[in-house]
Amino acid sequence: MADLPPPVQGPTAKEKKYDRQLRLWGATGQMALESSHILLINSGPGVVGVETLKNLVLPGIGNFTIQDSAVVSEADLGVNFFLEEEHLGGFRAEHTCNLLKELNPDVQGSFITEPVESWLTQPDSLKPYTLILATAPIRPEILARLSAHAGASLIPIFYIHSVGFYSHFSIHLPPAFPIVDTHPDSETTSDLRLLKPWPELIQFAKEKTNALDTMAADDHGHIPYIAILLYHLEEWKKDHEGQVPQNYKEKTEFRTIVSKAARTNNPEGGEENYDEAVAAVLKSLNPPEPASAVKEIFKTPECVLVSRDSSSFWVIAHAIGLFYTKYGVLPVPGSVPDMKARSADYIQLQNVYKSKARKDVVEVLESVRFLERTADRKDPIDEKDVEAFCKNAAHIKLVRGRPFHVVQASETIEWGERAKSIAQNLTFPDSLVPLYIAFLAFDEFVATHDKDALGGAPKMPGETDAETDAEKVTGIAFKIADDLIKEAGTFVEEPDYSDLKTRTGEFVQELVRAGGAELHNIAALTGGLVSQEIIKAITEQYIPVDNTCVFDGVRSKTEVIRV
Amino acid sequence: MKKIWSMKQKVAQEEAANVGPKKKRVTAAQLRVQKDLAELSLGSTMKTHFADPDDILNFKLTIDPDEGMYKGGRFEFDFKINQNFPHDPPKVKCTQKIYHPNIDLEGNVCLNILREDWKPVLNLNAAVVGLQANRSITEANIGMQFLFLEPNASDPLNKEAAEDLKGNREGFKRNVRVSLGGGTVRGQSFDRVLK
Amino acid sequence: MAEAIIPNLPTNLEGPRARWKYLDNILGRRGPFTDVDWVPGAAIIESLERAKLLVIGAGGLGCEILKNLALSGFKDIHVIDMDTIDVSNLNRQFLFRHADVGKYKAEVAAKFVEKRVKGVKITPYCGKIQDKDEEYYKQFAMIVCGLDSIEARRWINATLVGMVDENDEDSLKPLIDGGTEGFKGQARVILPTMTSCIECQLDMHAPRAAVPLCTLATIPRQPQHCIEWAHIIAWDEERKEITLDTDDPEHITWLFQKALKRAQEFNIPGVTYSMTQGVVKNIIPAIASTNAIVAASCCNEAFKIATSTNPFLGVPETDNYMMYTGDESVYTYTFQHMKKSDCPVCGEDNLSRPLQVDPNSTLQEFLDGLAERPEAQLKKPSIRSEQKSLYYQSPASLEEQTRPNLTKKLNELLENGEEVVISDPAFPTQFRYQLTFKG
Repeated sequence: MADLPPPVQGPTAKEKKYDRQLRLWGATGQMALESSHILLINSGPGVVGVETLKNLVLPGIGNFTIQDSAVVSEADLGVNFFLEEEHLGGFRAEHTCNLLKELNPDVQGSFITEPVESWLTQPDSLKPYTLILATAPIRPEILARLSAHAGASLIPIFYIHSVGFYSHFSIHLPPAFPIVDTHPDSETTSDLRLLKPWPELIQFAKEKTNALDTMAADDHGHIPYIAILLYHLEEWKKDHEGQVPQNYKEKTEFRTIVSKAARTNNPEGGEENYDEAVAAVLKSLNPPEPASAVKEIFKTPECVLVSRDSSSFWVIAHAIGLFYTKYGVLPVPGSVPDMKARSADYIQLQNVYKSKARKDVVEVLESVRFLERTADRKDPIDEKDVEAFCKNAAHIKLVRGRPFHVVQASETIEWGERAKSIAQNLTFPDSLVPLYIAFLAFDEFVATHDKDALGGAPKMPGETDAETDAEKVTGIAFKIADDLIKEAGTFVEEPDYSDLKTRTGEFVQELVRAGGAELHNIAALTGGLVSQEIIKAITEQYIPVDNTCVFDGVRSKTEVIRV
Repeated sequence: MKKIWSMKQKVAQEEAANVGPKKKRVTAAQLRVQKDLAELSLGSTMKTHFADPDDILNFKLTIDPDEGMYKGGRFEFDFKINQNFPHDPPKVKCTQKIYHPNIDLEGNVCLNILREDWKPVLNLNAAVVGLQANRSITEANIGMQFLFLEPNASDPLNKEAAEDLKGNREGFKRNVRVSLGGGTVRGQSFDRVLK
Repeated sequence: MAEAIIPNLPTNLEGPRARWKYLDNILGRRGPFTDVDWVPGAAIIESLERAKLLVIGAGGLGCEILKNLALSGFKDIHVIDMDTIDVSNLNRQFLFRHADVGKYKAEVAAKFVEKRVKGVKITPYCGKIQDKDEEYYKQFAMIVCGLDSIEARRWINATLVGMVDENDEDSLKPLIDGGTEGFKGQARVILPTMTSCIECQLDMHAPRAAVPLCTLATIPRQPQHCIEWAHIIAWDEERKEITLDTDDPEHITWLFQKALKRAQEFNIPGVTYSMTQGVVKNIIPAIASTNAIVAASCCNEAFKIATSTNPFLGVPETDNYMMYTGDESVYTYTFQHMKKSDCPVCGEDNLSRPLQVDPNSTLQEFLDGLAERPEAQLKKPSIRSEQKSLYYQSPASLEEQTRPNLTKKLNELLENGEEVVISDPAFPTQFRYQLTFKG
């Protein structure tokens, strides 16, 4: 019996399994995930790192490795979901790794039980990994080493705390982390160029508004609103020395004109396409000026000086920069929002935009090819990448990654050019900067305390004596806050200063109360946040946290701080 | 806020005894439909019919247009309201096969407030009577009643009927008369809906 | 000030609490935000272990919630879900494996967590929340919801609001609700009748955008229009006798091919199988990360409510709603959603009041009596119970159908304890009474 040919190409098994996420980051994002290898340097109760990995194994990262020299204890079983009773006494790295692997047969996992200090001394121990995750408590010299490696090899590194009801993570991304596919809100993406129409668009509008007054009712009610606006703009220009509506007042005036042009002698008492035109006036009649952040990108050194080793982002950005210099606008993205119109008219309009977009892509592509030749780049950039870039040119984003604070014993923390703005934020009543400072103070305590006073495992505040440790950590936190205010060159007046100290003191007390314990909920929540940021970093889609995030589980609030 | 938690943990007691009647509570959708029914103004041309009077979420509405091209007919619509009302609009279908540009042969009705312009603040009255005068609430509206006074030829559900209406209003009127009597128009036979 | 661990808690690595060493740091110590009269230690641990919780939904959020509650020290958890496991759940519903596809979610999830976390009892129910009555819901201390349906949320919300009995503290069940969509989500706490409820917050859920039927029928412009056309119009025209099953690949394929053909007729590009599935099933993208965040936030609140270890969302006059957005950096907005006095479910004017009635009086007599009650003074009342339309003033046909009830006795029409709702066009609100029979 002959097999019937499948009627359509249905989804593959993999597409079925990943359907709900492919609708977000698509096949390219998925491919990026699958070629990643994530290293977790685990410590402390060790939950947040494992919860993070759970959320990455499920969507199918390629590879993960857990470094953890801890041995499974009773306490682990009360907080870590990826351990079982029979694992007591075994290596935590091994068993968490195995149980995580069960979640997704497509993912490779391995583990390292050697202590991190000695493991790191091996040459190239960090080489295989495309992203590093380190959890507190960790010795500052080790964290500094990981951070230096990430900086040198341009891979992202995350540093995470999850302590009691609070958590924190910082991301150190490469110094230039550009994103093309930022997934902007669909409402912000239409760029119709009504104030800079090109001949084909003008022609389309003329055609559709020809003999407007005598047009049959049905035709009149189906003119695409873009044509309506272009028609009235031409009329307006006739009365305004060739100028389009300039300001809010003129735009409202223009809107009234459009609104009055709608026919009302019909069963509906109005026309939907005119309603759409009226609604679009204020947002569509703006000159198509790119955002300043985008223009900044064209001026960055990486963009200006394209070399043999430049990534494709910079080559395309340079080419689009040239396009912008030449025309004063970005390439047309080419998408048209849905609007009341007859099918054929709408498709025709869509094609007017698409052809223009294609034309712009061709021009950018020519510049790209020219740059490739002059810079002697080896592999030609895929035309699809150029097309995607042009389509999203108005929404590209450049994140300047920077190292996070590594708190060294008795070294003053430096805030650099961020001091002023953070010091100001510190005084806001709802600010979570004092919580971040509490975490820095926590780290300084860890840097100066050992469990056995012999340089073994680091000791966290509150493990045995919460009251004494809280006092110590509060002292450290106050000093960090004072140093910050000093570095910012400002002065906090009373009662703001006392208030700031009260808030900082409370955060410290609550933090120390936990005695370094992780609460599963907070670890799970933080693991969710961190895994999401890792997905953004790996897929180079969406916009990542820049560069520090704190969570307050008492009030259920987050804050993102650039430090 | 210990009050909500300091409640003593009740033990055994309820698990054992109390197999009493399930206390029945009026659902949110019923509450809302009841309110809407009280506000419904049907006039002389419309009537409701509840197959099961206890079930107010499902009923039929008949419309006897007293003017316009459809005068003399009696049209029946099926209203189905689900438990997610008023988040979801009522589902309305014409139970007869009729010749009308805004109603297709399956009985689907093109009425903006039944679909794209539905909002939970709208009530059954809006769906039944329409809001002709109130363009601020619905953009382009045609109520059920209005459908028979002013069939709308632009954006139809029944393209043939719409073309007839657009091309030749008198011819369309004749076709309506034929269809109301259960005759055949453009090769389609229609249900007899004369009173 | 922070306090040292109180002496009656074992802190060594052996004893029965060794497993909960970390949790006990929090349960055994005061914090800067704990109430002055809060006493850390044994009593708190006991109340945590005795609290019976209900989890509604064992999907993306539910799996996380069950894990989190078990590892928060709760011991007695029930879970309801009517669904079975689909292969597309496996990218986030981590308690399920490929071999579990087709089995009931609640059962598999319960078994898995019980096996992994020793000492926790998880009781599954594979069915609808509507199958259960008040007596069932009354046994729980709290309800945590991880649902994807607004209808189910509204149902449990109305049920819990209706259960509140002013004379019985134990009738008030905090409702904690989470929801996600892609990189966005929310977690909220509702204290029925005390704070803003799901019905008050209905405007937080945007209704699904719809396209005019006439656009689908006559002037499609987008690939989605062609799919909707195949779904709503073409199926009924050509396959009316077959009930559309959106999980049947043959049905989706048929719709896809229909849509594709229509799109080609109109020169509309972009119809795909995946888009067809997405439109027809109204698929909402879902990922593990967002579920983890929202579920953990819900469980964090549940833990705080159960233990008073810190203030929780939902305390009257404080924040009760956390909105989360993760596609552009990380952003949360935590605020107080205000209770609506005209909320049809929990508005003060709409709450059910107890009313004693003579079971032998007629409905007419009962209504006449109502007209004299100071809060009512009804002129044209319409009245129903959940089961029955007792009497409707309008529309005319319904009045005629229900008129015979007026002369019937209340005990012929109602069961003892049933709720009735009375509307009157003269009043914007409705009156609800819980009728108990005298004698």
